[in-house]
Amino acid sequence: MNKNDYMYLDHAATTPMREVAFEAYKKTEMDAYANSSGGHALSRKAKNILEESREFISSCFGAAPNEITFTSGGTEADNWIIKTPFVDQEKRSELTTTQIEHEAVIASAENVDKKGYKVNFISCDEDGITNAEEFKQSINANTLIASVMYANNETGVIQPIKEMSQSVKDVNPKTLFHSDVVQAVATKKIDFHSLGIDSAAISGHKIGGPKGIGVMFLKTGYKIPSLLHGGKQELERRAGTVNVSGVAGLAAALKEQQQNLEEETKLIENERKIFETKIKEEFDVKIIGENVQRLCHISNIQFRNINSETLMVALDLNGMGVSRGSACASGAQKPSHVLKAMNVDDEVINNHLRFSFGWNIEIGDGNKSAEILKNTIKEII
Amino acid sequence: MRILVAMSGGVDSSVVAGLLKSQGHDVIGVTMKLWEGPNGEMPETGCCTSADSEDARKVAAKLDIPYYVLDYTASFSENVIDNFVDMYSQGLTPNPCVECNRSVKFDHFIDQAKKLNCEKVATGHYAKIVKNSDSFELHKADFLDKDQSYVLHMLDSKKLAQIEFPLGTISKPEVRQIAATLGLKTAFKKDSQDICFVGKKDYRNFVSKRIDVSSKGLIVDKHENEVGTHGGIHAYTIGQRKGVPGGQGEAKYVTKIDVENNKIYIGSKDELTTKKFLIEDVSFVDSIEYDNLSIQTRYNSDDVPCNIQKVDESTYQIELKNPTLGVAPGQFGVIYQDTKLVGGGRITSKVLEEVYE
Repeated sequence: MNKNDYMYLDHAATTPMREVAFEAYKKTEMDAYANSSGGHALSRKAKNILEESREFISSCFGAAPNEITFTSGGTEADNWIIKTPFVDQEKRSELTTTQIEHEAVIASAENVDKKGYKVNFISCDEDGITNAEEFKQSINANTLIASVMYANNETGVIQPIKEMSQSVKDVNPKTLFHSDVVQAVATKKIDFHSLGIDSAAISGHKIGGPKGIGVMFLKTGYKIPSLLHGGKQELERRAGTVNVSGVAGLAAALKEQQQNLEEETKLIENERKIFETKIKEEFDVKIIGENVQRLCHISNIQFRNINSETLMVALDLNGMGVSRGSACASGAQKPSHVLKAMNVDDEVINNHLRFSFGWNIEIGDGNKSAEILKNTIKEII
Repeated sequence: MRILVAMSGGVDSSVVAGLLKSQGHDVIGVTMKLWEGPNGEMPETGCCTSADSEDARKVAAKLDIPYYVLDYTASFSENVIDNFVDMYSQGLTPNPCVECNRSVKFDHFIDQAKKLNCEKVATGHYAKIVKNSDSFELHKADFLDKDQSYVLHMLDSKKLAQIEFPLGTISKPEVRQIAATLGLKTAFKKDSQDICFVGKKDYRNFVSKRIDVSSKGLIVDKHENEVGTHGGIHAYTIGQRKGVPGGQGEAKYVTKIDVENNKIYIGSKDELTTKKFLIEDVSFVDSIEYDNLSIQTRYNSDDVPCNIQKVDESTYQIELKNPTLGVAPGQFGVIYQDTKLVGGGRITSKVLEEVYE
């Protein structure tokens, strides 16, 4: 759909692919389509693209090339790291995570719980910041993995990752500190080692890369079992023909993003602020995480006396795409587990909408979006 | 005009969306998610399944109209399910479709339509709305075998002004033909007949999972002679023959359910006939009529000529011209004047006292 016809404010769900990413993807499919594990010239070409991309992508996060493995996306990376280490462990091993993780982590943790391991879901305060004391208390000699997302996908609220990692290491230096950084990489420069992150999940399509490609980062020294079994691709860590075109697309997207990160985030933040200011001027709304650190591209707004399901439909009809909590298979939407964990009242939990800006936002979009939202609210109240 | 169409994923509502779209209206399709499993999933059987909403989505895509699945589970649970369970526990025979139409489809749904700038809502019900000079009338569908006006009796003229029933003049085969012509994949989809949230399962299990109804009691005849025992009154409805202890040769039916004393009365078919009964919470489409009336006491039952008499503001006494079988408290008495629907109300258990007088 033409950008001028439809105001897409759902970048936290996925972003349009950057032109450079699309070109790199297409070029690889056309010129280096061979299996990167093969033994002929075309395979070598694919393999070269794969490894060059790996070097570049890992460097963007301060990691070594052999610390990253390509996956089908963030969900696979989270599943891999959270679930597989518990396969052969003694039952006394424990997992600590938070109540506000992405479903990929929450559901993986529930799976670990079902297998009989102890899983601690740590609560958060009303701003969505994990309760530090409760988190620290849960770590012990048996804690195999502690998993905390860098920033929340529904609210954008950022966790004090470095401090949390440190508090884990203080108690148990062997614990793997995992962080789902899928949403954060959209607008944050992240260095895994300096933040104390031992493993991480990244998704290509949140930063203007292709869908179906992601990264599992695992610090040198840690070893986890494979999630997918089969061929001996990716240093025998992950079976399956490598999605080289996806990797090339992701590298190209990251390159453009990293070069323009400051400029991009400044524009996004500016337009988001204009949008929020205009809405606050006219309506009694609450912006989630307004007084804490949050990602600049996410604005989760609580409206008074407005059902967000109706508002979302009305916005769509007026040419603006936003989202509520997580969509279920049928398309109907459920109250958010993140907002529940933040103790948002039952009465207003269905009054939230997430507006998320992205790399292709232009000057004036904040204003334009605010106008559409204002007019739509007036229609439905 | 902009019209919000309730799309269940069946052929009827698919054709409604198609017809209105071809008439040039700005059509928006909505599947009301009424009922869900413990993890918020769509049910696997009955209606409102995820396969149904997927059918609706495909039809909407084919027609190139916006389509949404909206959550009505809270409203449905509160107004329809709770009522359904509660009625059985009181020995009554509920009609969940009527409750759903009253409080969900033609209340909450109309409100939402207004917010979305829709002038009207439309559904695939078989009934006709006829505009009079200053009011709207509800009539039976032209093809009586499909008529659904019974379950729409609570709609008054004001509500009817906001509704379209495009299928009121069309036969079912014609509906399927239109769907096929429009290339809609639901054209030859089987109709659902079950109670949507119970599906093909026994409603008794559904009820007994939700409330404690297992208290055993006696089955007696009209002279209070014990003829058997029962495992909970929720498993019985008036006129039921299944599970009733048989007499010598003659079939026996449930004739009365005494909730207070936890007793089921059975008797012969003759004892099931009713001549006079009361209906309560009565509403009228527009003005009250008294002449040439007939009544349906169940969905799709025959019209029985009757007279009505006001008892109080919302209660009327119905006198049938011929004694009739199977008048069940909890069901609705819907009054017609020829094809015009006059009004209706819930049949009260007082009907049974009449039988025993």
